[in-house]
Amino acid sequence: HPWETVTTAAMQKYPNPMNPSVVGVDVLDRHIDPNGKLHSHRLLSTEWGIPSIVKSLIGTSRTKTYVQEHSVVDPVEKTMELKSSNISFTNLVSVDERLVYKPHPHEPDKTILTQEAIISVKGVSLSSYLEGLMANTISSNANKGREALEWVINRLNAEIEEFTASARGTMRNSMAAAAFVEK
Amino acid sequence: MNSVGEACTELKREYDQCFNRWFAEKFLKGESAGDPCGQLFKQYQICVQKAIKEKDIPIEGLEFMGPSKGKTENSS
Repeated sequence: HPWETVTTAAMQKYPNPMNPSVVGVDVLDRHIDPNGKLHSHRLLSTEWGIPSIVKSLIGTSRTKTYVQEHSVVDPVEKTMELKSSNISFTNLVSVDERLVYKPHPHEPDKTILTQEAIISVKGVSLSSYLEGLMANTISSNANKGREALEWVINRLNAEIEEFTASARGTMRNSMAAAAFVEK
Repeated sequence: MNSVGEACTELKREYDQCFNRWFAEKFLKGESAGDPCGQLFKQYQICVQKAIKEKDIPIEGLEFMGPSKGKTENSS
């Protein structure tokens, strides 16, 4: 899919069936910097399906984990960068992720994603120790991320088709269709 | 999608709709001047900041700024 489509979908990634544990998304800050790039700081709350008996013991406010995400969209260079890290109450394990979406250099209708994740325990990087184990998880998560965006893109296309069917011939209609239908 | 503060979900939805439309139709096409969602964002922010304080979510290094001018002080 073209970069514009992927970027728009990424801004609306949740909810989606591939990430059922994400239960809340909030924008904490959003501004355009002097170079015209859009910065967004978001807070994601996730719930990991803790049995309700545990919840009733420790209280529901402590069953959520939070992820802090900073994204930068450059509409001129056509890059979108996302950095996220989990906010851990115990500071024991932290996961930092970085994703960059750019148009494919040779195929303009495609987008390239590069993704890296750093997992640390108490500030010590585990990249060598857990290499085998984590590599599988991370690459299946990367696939999941792609599937999630594919799902969002399909949803947005369906909404656009519905919209164009019911509101023919307006200016906005043709702008929206041009942004999404191109694949 | 819900907000971290249950009471803020409706404000969040209105803001999100406004933002998503502006993002796809204006910003990505290079027309970033004139963000029409400023007012919605401010109201939504006030609610979210309060919810975060109430739930004691430890967010580091973030300033809660509105889209244009600067910080508004909120008492909670």
